[in-house]
Amino acid sequence: MTTHEKLEQIFHDAFGVEKLTDDMSIDTVEGWDSMAHVALIMTLQKEFNITISPQKAIELTDVASIKQLLGT
Amino acid sequence: MKDSLDKIISDAQQASTWLAYRKAVRQINELSASDKTTLKSGMKVAFVSSFTIDPLVDFTTVEAAASSIGLGTYIAPFGQVSQETLNPQSGLYVFIPDVTVLIAEADKLAEKAIDAADEIIALAQSFRQNTSGLLVVTTFMAPPDWPLHLLPSERQLELDKANQRLRETFKDDPRVQICDLAMLASYYGYTHALSPEMMAMARMPFAESFLVLLAKKLVSHFKVHAGLIRKCIVLDCDNTLWGGIIGEDGMDGIALGPDCPGREFVDFQKAILELYEQGVILAINSKNNEADILQVLREHPHMVLKEEHFAAICVNWNPKPDNMKTIAGQVNIGLDTLVFVDDNPAERQIMNQMLPEIDVLELPANPALYAKTLRETNFFAKASLTEEDKGRGQMYAAQRQRSRLQQSTATLEDYLKSLEMTCSIRPAEEKDIKRAAQLTQRTNQFNLTTRRYTEPDIRHMVESPDWEVYVLGLKDKFGDNGTVGLAMVEKQKDVWQIDTFLMSCRVIGRQAEDAFVDRICRDAVTAGATGLKAEYTKTQKNALAADFWDKMNFKKQASDEKRTDYKFSLIDYGPKKFEYLNIES
Repeated sequence: MTTHEKLEQIFHDAFGVEKLTDDMSIDTVEGWDSMAHVALIMTLQKEFNITISPQKAIELTDVASIKQLLGT
Repeated sequence: MKDSLDKIISDAQQASTWLAYRKAVRQINELSASDKTTLKSGMKVAFVSSFTIDPLVDFTTVEAAASSIGLGTYIAPFGQVSQETLNPQSGLYVFIPDVTVLIAEADKLAEKAIDAADEIIALAQSFRQNTSGLLVVTTFMAPPDWPLHLLPSERQLELDKANQRLRETFKDDPRVQICDLAMLASYYGYTHALSPEMMAMARMPFAESFLVLLAKKLVSHFKVHAGLIRKCIVLDCDNTLWGGIIGEDGMDGIALGPDCPGREFVDFQKAILELYEQGVILAINSKNNEADILQVLREHPHMVLKEEHFAAICVNWNPKPDNMKTIAGQVNIGLDTLVFVDDNPAERQIMNQMLPEIDVLELPANPALYAKTLRETNFFAKASLTEEDKGRGQMYAAQRQRSRLQQSTATLEDYLKSLEMTCSIRPAEEKDIKRAAQLTQRTNQFNLTTRRYTEPDIRHMVESPDWEVYVLGLKDKFGDNGTVGLAMVEKQKDVWQIDTFLMSCRVIGRQAEDAFVDRICRDAVTAGATGLKAEYTKTQKNALAADFWDKMNFKKQASDEKRTDYKFSLIDYGPKKFEYLNIES
């Protein structure tokens, strides 16, 4: 599974997103609120085996910046 | 529908992340919207907390669904612990919760932990006055601040003291239960239970995996509150109670004893014996020759569980689901109070399919983990332990010996005579109140009206001049059955109204119920009453008692689908004699 596919799966589980695009953000995806954001950050850390500081976490509010962090 | 619910829950449990539990909550809501019958019992649960409680609510909703409880939840506004609890008009009280979970950090309530405990105690008092539901209070988390230092911190000692105060204050309190968070976290390990990351991002102290465990613990409280607790553990033998197959390996060949292999089965049996001592009934369901199993029970030097611990021993070559029905019949309890334990996954699967109302313990493949797996279940959780609980396993085991006697005596009369019974019927006192409340809450089959009462309700009736509350005890040559009958009568002018009449099934058919009615009649006559009124209210479980008042010669009055009213004239009432009962009052 590519990083993109894995991320798409996570967004599908979290918000029911079918097709993941870079322009999706906390303002446009339904259900992506502050609570869901924390749950998302915890899962990203676990799934991609990375650590995300609280400072970084509040910046990762769109798909493009998450992908940039993951290096894709 | 059941399958898809099971799938949703097991997916969430597999991942054990908040994200996965959030998804499961969404799916369960969709499922319940399309099919109202998915979850058996509904419960309204409020959460009052000093931190972000939303994650715990999600985990709890899913774990409750795993126990067939559908939750309606209320979350008190962030950081409003005192306001919500003290204000009678708060959202909390408007919600009218069945259960309220109060989970607060000590330092958010007061500077010193001991003062925080007193604050909780004061809040609980206000809670009692403002609602009739159950309050579940957690102890404070008390992790070591400096795990490698030599002295415990002042703060930690204070927290330990505060927790001790909470435990003592609410011990045996019928309205407030302690959920010992500190103990649960130390079992799990504070380093795994706490998540500095979650705290930093969400103002919530717990790690995701610990939230699963805490949610399960809360569900134990819900299950006890809803009466969903199991009564009897039914055990397979070969490779469950010992290693190997008795029919092939023989007494000397099975693995059971202090050494390896064998130690793991002794430990498992010890855990089962602890359940027995807490009032859980034991039974055996095994495909074997009965003589082989009895020989192990009677003669094996390392068996922790002995023949006298078991209320039913069902050893034959019948399908195991059939044996479960036999066991339920012999012990006289419902199938939905049984838990089945078997090392064989095929037997477990067929049990799940044939008798879904029975809970099945998923034993791991490695017997070294049997005891741990059993200890981490909540089938048999209890909020308090009465003397009856402690002796219950023994009473049911004695019942098995009674039925043997019944089979060996020719007539019912001979049997009753040989039991050498003594029946005591007397007005309830303070010491009986806990047991009386428990009887109204737990007795389902021989219960004429199935009205559930709390301890304060019953205390009120015991103290009131308008009520008579009776308890009935029964002893025989096999032992003391304890308090097994309860009647509550409202004394109206000329007529006494029997509000509650119930008895434990295991003593039915031994004339005690007749003697109980006779006692009420005689007291009513002495008080100058001219008649009795009684009723039978049908439930799913009390068909056994449907014609009881008819048998007692009460006259049927009004009747509809659910309820039948009866009258009994006391004019010319002649007290009855009971040949086989020695009656004390």
